[in-house]
Formats: sequence, structure tokens, C-alpha cells
Amino acid sequence: MKRTLLMLLLGAAFISGTPDQAKKILPYPILQKKLENGLNVVTVPYPSPGLAAFYIVVRAGSRDEIEAGRTGFAHFFEHMMFRGTDKYPKEQYSEILKSTGASANANTSLDRTLYHMTGSADKLDVMFDLEADRFQNLNYSVDGFKTEAGAVKGEYTKNSASPYVQLNEKISETAFKTHTYGHTTMGYFKDIVDMPNQYDYSREFFKRFYRPEYCTIIVVGDVTQERVNELSQKYFGDWKPGTYVSKVQQETPQTEPRYTHIKKEGFPPYMDINFKGPAFSDQNMDMPSLDVLCSILFSEKSDLYKQLVLQEQKCRFINGGAQNSRDPYLISIGASVAKEQDMMYVKTTIMNALESAKSKPFAANVIAETKMNLRNSFAMGIDNPTSIAEALSAYTWLTGDPESINRTYALYEKVTAEDMMRVAQKYFMSNTLTIGTITPSESFNFEKSPSATPQIDKQK
Amino acid sequence: MKKIFLSETIATIVLFITFTINATAQEVVELRQPEAAKAVIKFMFNNGSISDPAGKEGLTQFTTSMIADGGTKTMTKSQIDDALYPWAASISASVDKEVSIFTFECPSAYLDKFYPIMMDVLTSPAFSKEDYLRIQSNQQNYVDEVIRSSSDEEYSKKALEDFLFRNTPYQHMISGTSIGVKNILPDDILAHYKSYYSSKNVLIGLGGNYPADLAARLKTDLQKLGASEKASQLRRALPRPPKGLEIEIVSKENALGSAICMGFPLEITRSSNSFAALMIANSWLGEHRKSYSHLYKKIREERSMNYGDYSYIEWYDNGGSNMLPPPGVPRSSNYFSIWIRPVQTAVGLKKQYSELSDINIGHAHFAIRMALHEMQKLINNGMTDEDFTSTKTFLQSYMKLYIQSTEKQLGYLMDSRFYGRKNYISEMGDLLESVSLDEVNETMKKFWQTKNLYVTIVTDATEAEPLKKSLESNAPSPMSYSNVLKGSMTPEILKEDKEVENYPLNVKSVTIVKSADTFRNTNSDPNGKPVQMENVVPEMKMVK
Repeated sequence: MKRTLLMLLLGAAFISGTPDQAKKILPYPILQKKLENGLNVVTVPYPSPGLAAFYIVVRAGSRDEIEAGRTGFAHFFEHMMFRGTDKYPKEQYSEILKSTGASANANTSLDRTLYHMTGSADKLDVMFDLEADRFQNLNYSVDGFKTEAGAVKGEYTKNSASPYVQLNEKISETAFKTHTYGHTTMGYFKDIVDMPNQYDYSREFFKRFYRPEYCTIIVVGDVTQERVNELSQKYFGDWKPGTYVSKVQQETPQTEPRYTHIKKEGFPPYMDINFKGPAFSDQNMDMPSLDVLCSILFSEKSDLYKQLVLQEQKCRFINGGAQNSRDPYLISIGASVAKEQDMMYVKTTIMNALESAKSKPFAANVIAETKMNLRNSFAMGIDNPTSIAEALSAYTWLTGDPESINRTYALYEKVTAEDMMRVAQKYFMSNTLTIGTITPSESFNFEKSPSATPQIDKQK
Repeated sequence: MKKIFLSETIATIVLFITFTINATAQEVVELRQPEAAKAVIKFMFNNGSISDPAGKEGLTQFTTSMIADGGTKTMTKSQIDDALYPWAASISASVDKEVSIFTFECPSAYLDKFYPIMMDVLTSPAFSKEDYLRIQSNQQNYVDEVIRSSSDEEYSKKALEDFLFRNTPYQHMISGTSIGVKNILPDDILAHYKSYYSSKNVLIGLGGNYPADLAARLKTDLQKLGASEKASQLRRALPRPPKGLEIEIVSKENALGSAICMGFPLEITRSSNSFAALMIANSWLGEHRKSYSHLYKKIREERSMNYGDYSYIEWYDNGGSNMLPPPGVPRSSNYFSIWIRPVQTAVGLKKQYSELSDINIGHAHFAIRMALHEMQKLINNGMTDEDFTSTKTFLQSYMKLYIQSTEKQLGYLMDSRFYGRKNYISEMGDLLESVSLDEVNETMKKFWQTKNLYVTIVTDATEAEPLKKSLESNAPSPMSYSNVLKGSMTPEILKEDKEVENYPLNVKSVTIVKSADTFRNTNSDPNGKPVQMENVVPEMKMVK
């Protein structure tokens, strides 16, 4: 007991936040300042001696690729951000970056592009200089542009060896007919091959999205807010805001189930069941309720996992969850099935569990344990500045406000059995289904199976 | 846990050497952080896949999974999952060639409740029939299907190890072979557990926030594991010396690109002080996923050929996902390697660009030439003073990033012991500080060469035969740029291309292997019976 008390005292001293801070999932204050040009600057001091993580979130991703033939462009542009400026041409940029000894890279997804560096806190000035220069003054050559396109093609080539990646491309285009979520962040291969011809569009893309109002700087580690704000003002203060407002066409309602299939011999049969889900919000209970529900339904503690993976061993693994996204996206349930002839059985078993979730409330202790799991999982993962910056970035690109992380976890605590039944009824609807399959067969049709009628949509 | 290396003065060629592991009480590595929210507890057993008996390849992986992912005599796997769930505690395990590591993580507040489950998992596994069937099915599926059909790059790396270590206990994949996994019976697992997961064969690692008496408690409780010293008899071997460029092309249906790996035995490991010098040279040549490394610049950035090109002076686990090298894969048997990420095939380029309709092969031959050409130039010319200084400075900071989390820091400290060091990261920092340019250039000349390598290329079935002919005949392999790209190539690049397309490679053999036939040529015959090893394995020399 003494040890526990000591630990709590040390923990409290270590956190050194306000009393309110103790109630938040992130035990460190999130210090924010918005510059006059609209750039949000976030500092989280964290005791990592000598080390800091420096992230820039751009709230533009493949969702913003609204023009035909330009799929994959946000990701391609992320590559171009490493191709130099007048002040620091590519070679010089690389050499200076190397001199910081930082681990630096970038990645793109549906709704955002993320640039990150983790390195010595005393190199922060250099990091700010490099990032501010390329975010404001990127100036690559046409030749450099064309050459970089081959690297993107190489990336597609390596990724597409995976049948899961191939299926993801097909599910996206099957599930979304009008929204840009219909193409993957990687884009279509034909558009990637055509990328070298899109130089002018790339300049337009830069003008649209690489603007202070689309970006947030996040610095976590051995820093003070004063220093981070000072560097932000010094290097990013003169950055001019833009005028572009991204107008993404929303998806038209889906009226019937859709299917897509990949024939793959010598690969374990797989099914990916997708329902249309909600957009992320920390202002209502839909997404938090789905998160708690999906953890109960698909974690290693779930009845489905115990039945399908451990006892019957019909599945090699199952997983499920609602993806956080700015516009409504997918609630996806994946199952690797040991034998193709069990695909229908597995699907029916999963559908029955989803149907049951609509009317049968989960026990209070199950809900309490799941909330505890969510809290402890988060606490276990934040023992370094990089992982904290990653977590803050995710909520920043979703809402524009890193405090959303604390609001979201606070909502988890409020989820009730009724909330979960409500979201199950609202979202597990067969008319919004898109099911992707991988089997050795040319095609796969659940409907032809004798037990094909899914037990679903029987609303109360 | 100390290892005794054979000295360089031993002249006789032996088939295998014996690594001696002192039979002492368990050593403990402690990384106590009273302010942390969690505790990380690791157990590193000095037995990896090299302890798999011939004909039962995959047994160590299977046994380790049965412990970490199965039930115990008092709790089923399902009951363990239920207990861990609210705490978000985790039990995981990894197996490499020479070690198996169990990692237990738990919020410190629940450590008292977690401890008995952890000890139960480790010292009292159930080895139940249900767990056996589940794990066997999944492991079999991995070696039969998943490795061949998920990532051509990972496939190529596994194929290279199969080639480098052929006819040694290091040859087979850690998950085993198709025949080997089929042959593993419940009794084999029990016997393997008793022989190798012993209190005489384990290094304990404690990290984060845990009580001061935990080490003593663990030492006592681990006595339940028994005291087998069989791990001390494990045979270690260097990879086979390649004779020229020995190339295996793995032919697959519908492969989009050619995934290339190549390597040769390397006599030194982290144990050697010369490793710091080689680390600087390697970082300049091909630092993992860094745009400022030389191979990346030449192949990806200048020529637009693929996603990246890197070189390694030790095994880098799961390089496709990891930006920084993870701990937990220490090896005494080492090799140098180059990883060229998939380049385009002829059939792919023809589909993309009508102007390339008459090409015969894709970019693989040129890429291999380019990589070896640049490496040989580096060996011949040495690093410049400027490159040496910038790379050394980079590494001195960069290595500190390997150990950002408690788990990683503890893992690196435990790996340090494997190599006879106390703290690899800090000791390497000191060595980097003191190493000179001359030492780097001399070390390269001593340990690196480009004439004798094993090469594996996973590629499309249509590419295999023309590529084989091109490699065998050392035919010129001009780069086939699309029209849209050709105009962007500088005269310097095009001039260098001319030199590289004719760069002579010391090719001695090129074999095409169908995907279904890979990983078959192991220590056991097709029925799983052990076969006599060829006398090709050199003595193990650990150079300090």
C-alpha cells in the first residue's frame, strides 16, 4: 500500500497540472496559441530530457482530391515537400536535416497529411527553419517533379503485393460513388502513371492547402510554450493565409448491399464487412458509443473472438471498428477464415452478434471494464513524446482542436448500454453494407448459400 | 550469460561451433523509473529458431506461441484474456534466430494482480489440444501461404536468409517450413519447453515502475522452469561464403515488381569495436529509409526507379514498418545486406508506356548493377572527410532515438548483454566519438566486397527467364526511361547510366525457383527426416 501511495504522489508531482488536468485522459496540459495568420501552435511540455517531437498537421488528404484523374495527389504532394526551396535546395535540405540527427518523415491518409520530426530539443530552431521554409516557399523543378512520381509508383508497386491492399481499393470504390473516399489515399495506378504530367496542378495544390489555416504545429517534449511560440512567430509569423475552401461532395445514400471480390489462390480466405458509419465528432455520443461497442464485440475478450477464433477455430483472426474520419466513412469488420466453406457461417455469426447488439443491453460490468481498457490502453501508450504527438495529431486533423482528445475520452465515460443499442440500430443496416471477399474462387456469392439471409435490420 | 567467442587464432575449419553460456543464476537488467505509469518485464531465452530440430523446423516459434498465446494449467487462454482486458495489460512474444523473448506489460497499479498470471504463463503453460490446433493451423498457413502472397519484399528477405544459411540451422524461416510445422507433435513442444525455456538460460529485464524486490522474487519463482543447460550446446554458424554472385529468381504469378535482396557473411557484430566504423560507412551508403543515404539518392531520387534502397550491417526486423531499428533480434551470426525495394518489370513498363514496347527486361538488372557499382566505389575511394563528419554526427544523435520508450530502452539493454556489452547505445556513442576516417575506410576494405554475394529476386513469371539470361550473360542492361521522364535526366545521370549498364557483375549462377518450391531445401528431406549437412560452413570467428 505504501508503494502505491508513493507512486500516486510521484505521479501527481510528475504531472504537475491543474486539478482539472487530473480528470483528463492526457495528464499533461495542452497549451495552444493561434497566430494572427490562423496557424495554431500547440505545445505539450513533457519530461523527455533533451528530446522533442515536432509535428505539422495539414488538414488535407485524399478526401480533398476532388478533380477527376488526380487520385493520389495529396500523397504525391507529400513526397514533393522533400524536393527543396530556393533557400534550401533538395541536397541542402537533406544535409541540414541529417545534421539534426532527427528521425523525420511524413505520411498521408484520407483527411490529412502529417510531417514529423523527433530529435534533440536543442535543434528545434533548425527544425522550425527547415519546415517554415518549405511550407511557405517550396519550389521544386519540373524535372524533380517528374522524377519523384516514379517513387510513388514504386510505393504502389510494393504495397499492392498484399491482397488486403488490393481489396481495400475495391471496397472504397464500391462503397463510395460520389464522395472522394471512393478512392484510396494511394490513388489509382493509372493516375499515378500520369502524375509526371501534372506539374501545374501540383502548384495549385500547394497554393490551396499549404496555408496557415489548414495547418497546426504540435511540439511535445523538453520544451516550453514560450520558446515554441517564439519560434513559431519567428519562422511562420509572415505566412500568408489562403482563400481556398475545400468543397467535397457528400456521399449519396446507399440503398442496397454491395459486394466486391478478389480471386486469390494460395491466400487465406478473407471477408471485410463494412457499414456506413458516422463522421467523427466529440460533440455527440455516436462515435464514442460505437468505439465502446466495437471493443466489446471484437476484442480478445469478446464472445465472437472466443467462439470463432478460440473455440470453433473457424477464423484465424477477427477485428472490427469505426474509422475516425471528417466525413461519414466505414465501420469495418474483418475476418480471416480458415476454410472457404465456412465464409457464410462466419458472416452469419457476426451478423447475428450485430443484430443482438441492437436489442440486448450489455451488462454494466462489461461496459465498465471496456471503459477501463480504453483508459489504460491510452495511458500505457504515452511514455514518449512521439506517441503523445501522434495521439494529439489524430484529434487535431479530425476537429482542428487537440483538446478533442480529452473531450472524446470524457465521452467514453458517459456511454450507456442504451447508447450502444441506439448506434447499433442506426448503423448496422443492410442497405449500407459493402462486403469485400478474397477467396480462391473466381467469384463469391453469399446469397447463393442456403443460410444466406443475414439476421439484420429487424429494428425494434 | 557470458559468451566465449572462439579466438581468431583457431585455424581448423569446424562445421559448427559451440557457444558456451555460463550456467549461473539468472542475470537481471534493471531500468527502474518510479515516475512511470507502467511496468515492462521481459524474459530473453537464449534459444531461437536455430534450436529447432531438423525435420521439426518451426518448433521454437510454436512452443513460444503456445506459452504466450495459450492457456496455463490454471487458466484457459480465454480466462487470461478476460483478466488482462480491463488493465489493458499485454503478453507478447517474439522469436528470432538465436533468442526468444517474452514481454509482459501492465499498468503499475495492477502489477500485483498481473504477476501471478505472468508467472503462470511462463512456468505452467497448459499446452492444451485446443491451443495446439489453433496455433498449428495459423503457423502452417503462414509458411504455406501468407509469406508467399503478402509482401514480395518480406518474401525476398526470407528467401535471402534461406539462401545465405542453406544447410545450417539458420536456414529455415523462424516460423518453420511446410513439412517441419506439420511434423511438430504436442510431445515435441513439451520436450522443447523443458530443454530450452530453463532458469539457466534466461536473462530477466525489468523496466518502468515496479517494486524494488521484484528481481529477487522473479529469480526465486523462475526456479520452477527447471535447470536444463541444453541451450549451451546450440550450434552457431556463419552464413555460407558465396562463390561469385549466386542468384535465385523466385518466379510468381502476377507480381507487379521485382523485389531484390542481396548479402554476404559479415564477421563482426555489435560485440566488435569495429562495428562503429562500419556503422558510419553503412549509414552513408544506405541508412534505413533516409533520403540522405547514397543508394536512395542514386536509385530512387535521381532515377525514379522505386520507393527506396538501403543497406544493413545486421538484421533489421520488419523494416517495411519500422522507421527505427527495434531491439530483440540479437545475432552472433551476421551478414551484410542490400534491400532494393520493388523495381518495375518489363511487362509492367510495356503496359504503362507504349514507347517501351520493345524492352526485354525491367529494371532489376540495372538496379543490382547500380547498387554494387556505388558500393564498390565507396570501398575503393573511401568516405570524404565531410561525409564522415556529418554521418558520424548524425548517428550520435540518431541512435538515441532508438530508445525513446521504456520497452525499447529495456530491450536494447538486454541485447547489449547478448553482445557482451553493458549499454550498447552509450558505448557505441563513445566509439563513434573516437573513430577516425582512416579506421572507417580501412574497416570497409576489410569487411566489405561486391564480388561474392547471394542475391534473391522475387518477380513476375514473365520477367524470370529474360532476367536470368541477361544476368547470366552479363549483357548490357540500359535503363528504360519513359519519354516523360527521359527529358528530366541530366547529362551526368545519363553518362553514369552508360557506365552502370555495362558494369561487369561476377555472376556465377542464376537459378529460377517457382514460388511453390521456395523454402523446401532445408535440413530435412521431403518427409521431414534430417539429412546430412554439407561440409560448407566456416568456423565462427567473432572479431573484437
